[in-house]
Amino acid sequence: MTNFNSWEEFAKAAEVLYLVDPLKYRHVDRKLSIKVTDNHIVLKYVTDMAQDVKKMEKFVSLLMRHMCSKEK
Amino acid sequence: MLLDNDAFLTHLNRLFTQSKGGGSLFITMKRCNVLIIIDMSIDDGRTKPTPRTRKQVTEPHPSAENSCLFRATLGSQKISTVVHQKDMNRFNQAYSNLLKANIDGLKKRDKRVKAPAPKPVRSKAEKG
Repeated sequence: MTNFNSWEEFAKAAEVLYLVDPLKYRHVDRKLSIKVTDNHIVLKYVTDMAQDVKKMEKFVSLLMRHMCSKEK
Repeated sequence: MLLDNDAFLTHLNRLFTQSKGGGSLFITMKRCNVLIIIDMSIDDGRTKPTPRTRKQVTEPHPSAENSCLFRATLGSQKISTVVHQKDMNRFNQAYSNLLKANIDGLKKRDKRVKAPAPKPVRSKAEKG
């Protein structure tokens, strides 16, 4: 279980690993957490800043494109 | 329940609104093969997944295209959708906008990491 403090590190590591990513949003706690895992390694990033939303959304789109691409 | 992409987005919006009242919203995405989708999209009242044969596991179907399975959960409500390659661009746009619009309960700027304030540029002569 790895918890990241910087978004850049997280995104780099996650892109290497990408398989599944749950995105958890709690409006009440004002927190957003994103987790990438392949059932062996878990990478997590928890944030409470609005500026990370945009980064996160870019990253999710990247993963989407990865998943739909032809190559394995 | 499996919805089509547009219905999923509409429903997700609703879930976001509900999550404002409390509870966590989970969105999961994973890659999946079209073979599984075919089984899921046939609504024949099947409650169990069809067991995959060994052959399918070892070698992907030649006509199988990669697509993306999305799930969203809020408490006991679960919705899911499958996004195919051809719908990807449209869905991606809509989904990104939806996230940006709905995840708004966060801090505008981090208090702990203070950005260095832009200092007024002064020449040494001014200081005296």
